Formats: sequence, structure tokens, C-alpha cells
Amino acid sequence: MSLPDRIDPRPPRRIYRWDLDKTYLQTEFDSFRDLLRTAFQKAHEKQAVPGASALIRELASNGDTRLCIVSGSPRQLRSVLEEKLKLDGVVWDEFVLKDNVGNLMRGRFRALRGQVGYKLPAILESRAQAPLEAEEVLFGDDAEADAFIYSLYADMIAGRVDERVLGQILEQAAVYPDEAERVLTAWKKIPVSDPVRRIFIHLDRLTPPAHFSDYGPRVVPIFNYFQAALVLLADGHLTAPQVIKIAVEMVQTAGHNIITLSNSFQDLLRRGLPLQHAAAALVQALEGPNALLQALRPMPDILSAFTKRLAALGTPPPPPSVRAVDYLGLLHHALPRTHKGRKAAPPT
Amino acid sequence: MALKPVTIAFDVMGSDHGPVEVVRGAAQLSLESPHIHTLLVGDRAVIDDALAQIRHNGERISVQHAASFIAMDEKPGEALARKPDASVSVAARLVAEGEADALVSAGNTGACVLACARHFQLLPGVRRAALAAVYPTRIRRGDKEDPFSLILDVGATVEATADDLVTFAVMGAAYARIISRNEQPKVALLSNGTEPTKGPRHVVEAHARLGGLPGMRFIGNVEGVDIPKGTADVVVTDGYVGNVCLKMLEGVHETVVELAQYAHKESLRWRAGLAMLSGGIQRIKDITDWEQYGGAPVLGFDRIFIKAHGRSQARAIANAGKVAAKAAANELGKSIQQGLAR
Repeated sequence: MSLPDRIDPRPPRRIYRWDLDKTYLQTEFDSFRDLLRTAFQKAHEKQAVPGASALIRELASNGDTRLCIVSGSPRQLRSVLEEKLKLDGVVWDEFVLKDNVGNLMRGRFRALRGQVGYKLPAILESRAQAPLEAEEVLFGDDAEADAFIYSLYADMIAGRVDERVLGQILEQAAVYPDEAERVLTAWKKIPVSDPVRRIFIHLDRLTPPAHFSDYGPRVVPIFNYFQAALVLLADGHLTAPQVIKIAVEMVQTAGHNIITLSNSFQDLLRRGLPLQHAAAALVQALEGPNALLQALRPMPDILSAFTKRLAALGTPPPPPSVRAVDYLGLLHHALPRTHKGRKAAPPT
Repeated sequence: MALKPVTIAFDVMGSDHGPVEVVRGAAQLSLESPHIHTLLVGDRAVIDDALAQIRHNGERISVQHAASFIAMDEKPGEALARKPDASVSVAARLVAEGEADALVSAGNTGACVLACARHFQLLPGVRRAALAAVYPTRIRRGDKEDPFSLILDVGATVEATADDLVTFAVMGAAYARIISRNEQPKVALLSNGTEPTKGPRHVVEAHARLGGLPGMRFIGNVEGVDIPKGTADVVVTDGYVGNVCLKMLEGVHETVVELAQYAHKESLRWRAGLAMLSGGIQRIKDITDWEQYGGAPVLGFDRIFIKAHGRSQARAIANAGKVAAKAAANELGKSIQQGLAR
């Protein structure tokens, strides 16, 4: 007699953690008017960042994955946001929103804009429920503190941050005591492992990429999700045909073209990301039957655009160096922006 | 109205302020002008280091490595022969091959013109290319209220024939129509008198021919004093006279500035007077600042080349890119050919 089928789903091999505003959604809240407009938008009025939904769907289609959303949007927007995700064909496993009204009612004004005290315990608590072997890829943006929080999270569970340093960080980030306690409690439940493979930072504000260099090569600033797809292809999360599907959607729905995509490819190469093998896989996929892509542009043109940009660089640049992250030195990245700082990051 | 997408190749190397300012200008373009893609040609590592520190849109920028460049103090011909991989040569080749629609450089002018001559073709009917210059005047022209007039040639063709002068006039008028949106630019010959019979033989002959050229708003001869007045929108002369004239105009500008500085130091009364005038002086500077124009074209080639001033910083570079994009998008070469065919 054969064994009965498993009742429970298999544990996830990969967890993808996403922020929403400016990461998945094209959101403007740099002024009070923007904030109001965003708050009253209907689901169909919200716009996803080009390629984001396609990327999520392709990652999910590989199976054994888990989509965990932690967003600073208020809980009151849950129904609208869920509806938007459904419209986009996104299926999630966790969806955490911020209790802004609760914070306001309790007079916790720092928590309204603070991110460390909100996101860090949320993702730690989620990790505490995850399988030890599950890898993670995190998606955030450059508007707030995602690079800092995600990197800190990764280094905490990998044992690269000790409790003394963490305490200093939480204190200087003005985290409330109960939030700090949640962080410590959740952290202690997590076995030491090093699951975070990538942290993608969508450059909504077009912050110069060098701004994130202190976080090391794990953090990859991206101008678009085609770039994320290329890196994930190189990392083994996607196949070349899946990357092509994402690119096609970006071309068809968001006005991207062969120039913007090939420039995006070269941009990653110039930052030293090792994409040569991924590029070869992509070429192989492109040379196969691809009616959809062929309809957009003759295949030789597509291949030419990419190969020329590869050849144009001369000697390939070295990969970005691995370094220990000085979180106390980068703490200013984690603090809420001042009103003046809400504008786009100034050129350095 | 959607603008036609164009790609501008920037020779990043060789300008007075170094590659960083050119990169900054191109980065500024990538943020301000969605229809313009920039191709940065130069030392890849230098470009990457600069770009990583600057706010830009990476979707609109690509880089082409070029191992060497022509310095300002090098002899163009010799330097280009010795450095076939110089950034300006590589950039010109890429434009010729269709990888970009126009070239912008703030490097060695002679090397730039020579590189273009080696990689571009002269338009049918054009015997010599013309290096143009823009000069601020007191008259505004076209939809853009452009204060600048165009002077050509200012150095590319030292000895011009009557045919050349007529060609320069057609090219300059076409450029003014596109860049300044001046539908009927006033074109004049630079001479030593306003009478048609004044000037050397080639000028007199050109005068007679321009007067009968269809579609040309030829106003006759102008003298040197007419240039800053803006009597003509396009001033045509040979490269020898044009260069001397341009250098004199630049010298006058510098001398006026020096005199003002001297006055400011020497007398309280003069200082007070200058202070009272400062608002007006600043306004004039804002109107006539060459940096807002960005650069001037070399006309006659089948590709677009905009020569930015060697001292250009980011703002001027970005504006030069916009001028180049506008010329390319509006098919300046075709416009010139149509003018010459009349």
C-alpha cells in the first residue's frame, strides 16, 4: 500500500519579502496632497512599478516559495491593497500593514514615521516561523530605510551583529522599548543561519548607486525590475525564458524598449555584477523560438543591442567588494527624513 | 506630443574641467529629458566612478570605453594619428555607424572637427564644413525668444569661396529655423560696408547670389558693429575673418568684466554705481549666458556635431545635448539638403 499523500504543503525553499509603496506600487507621498490622493485611490487606480507583478508571478511559478509583504501603509488600506494585488495576479502568504492609527491614538508619534521599530520586528517574527534552510530575497526602495533594515536583519540572523551593537542601534534609532523587546525576543528564536541572498533596492528617487555601497554586494540598487530579473537569473531563481517574459511585459505595458533594457543590462555589468553566464543563457533563450519577442523587435537587433553593450566596456570591472557593515555609522540612513529631505536625494 | 527618441554620444574626455562635469551633464539629461539616451565615450572606470556618485537614470545611459583622449594642447592631426582609440574618434565612429544620432564634445576643437571629417560625410552640395559660434545679442528671435545669433564659419574653412559662403548661409538658416524656431531667419554677409559692392570678390559674388536665392531672407551686408546688435540672425563669413571676429568679441567681453572689476576697486562712486546696476547686469548675464546655449554646431556633415566650450560644466553640457537632440530629431541634415537643392 502506498503512503498517503501529504496533507501539509511543502515548506518553502525561498521566501521573497516585499515592501509595497515605491517598491511594488508607484506611490507618491512626498507631500500632504500626495498622501491624501494615495489614501483615497481605488484599487484599479493604483499603478504597479513596471515589471514588479510579472517578477512576482514568475518567482511564484517556480513553486515552494513564499511571498511575505511588510508595508508601512496603514491597516485601513488593507482591502484596497489586497484588491490591487489580486487584480495583478499576485498571491501572497503574509501581508503585514502598519497600525498607524493605533500609534497615533497611543501618542507614539515616533512610530508613525519610524521604520526600524516597525519592519525589523515584523520580518524577524516572520523568519522565526520559517524553515531554517529557506533562502530569502528582499525587495525595498530608496525612499526610506529598507537597505539599512534589511541588511541589519540579514546580519542579525547570520550572527554578524551582536546584542550590544543591536542595542545601540535600536536606542539611536529611537525605537520604543516594547518594539525593541519584540526585536530581541524574535531574534532569539531564530537559529543562526545566513539565508538572505539578495536585497534589491528599487531606485524610485534615483538615489546614486554609490549611496548603497557601504552595505556590500548583497544590496543591489536597481533602476527597474528587468535588472532584478537578470540578477535573479544569475543567482538561479529564474530561468532565461522567465526573464524574457518579464522584459516583454515591461515593453508592452510600460514603454520600455530595447535601448532602456540593454542600458539596464550594461549598468549592472558596469557595477561589477557577474552576469556573463546569465547573459549567455539569455542569448540561448533568445535564439530559440520566441514569437512574442520577435513581434516586438527583430531578434538580431535585440541580440546586437545587448552584445554591443557588453563589448563596449572593454575590461570587465571587478565585482563589488564584500565588507562588514558599520550600522552605527549608517544610522542616518535609518532615521526618518526631514521635510527638506523628503525631496529626491541630492547629487553628491 | 511625444518627442522623437534620440541618442547623443558624449566625448567625456579632454575638456578643461575633466570628465566629471561631462558625466554630470549627461546625468542631468537622463533625468530631465526622457526622450534622450546618452552614450558616454571615454575611460569606463572614470565614467563609472563619477556616475555612481551622481543622481541619474541608468536606463538612459550607456558607456563605451575608449582608452585614450586628445588633450587641449595636442596637435589634432598628429594626436589623432597616434591615438586611433581616442574618445573623440570612437564617439565620431559610433555616430557614423548609427549607434548615436549626434556627437557632443567639449574637447580639443581641432581634433573634434578632424575626427568628424574622418568619420562623417559632407552633405551633397557642401564643399566645406563650417564651424559656427553663437553670440549674445540684444534682439530676441523665434518662438524661443533666443538672444543668440549664429556666426559661421569661425575657423573650419579659413579661405571660403562664394559657393562656400552661400552654402554657409543655407546651413546657418536651416540651423536657426530648427534650434531657435525662427521661421525666417535674417541672414547677412559680414563685410566692411553695407553696400553690395563692398568687400572682397567672393563676398560680392556671394551677395549677388544670396539675393536671388529662393526661401532665403537675405538682408545684405552687415559690419562688425552689427553683430552684437543682432541685426542679423545668421552672420556669414569665412573662417579666417570669423575667427578673428569671434576672438575680438570674446576679448571685449572679458575686458568689460575686467574694467568693471577695476572700477569696483578704484572708486566708491563707481562701486555704488555698479551696485545699482547689479540687478540689470545679472539679468543681462542670465539672458546671454553662453552656458544656457551649451554649444555650437559644425555644419555640413551628414551627422550632427555640437562643439561645447572647453570650459563647459554640467549645465552647458546638458544644454549642448539638448541642442544636439533637437537638431537630430528635426533632421537638420535633411533640412540643409533641401535648402541647397533650391
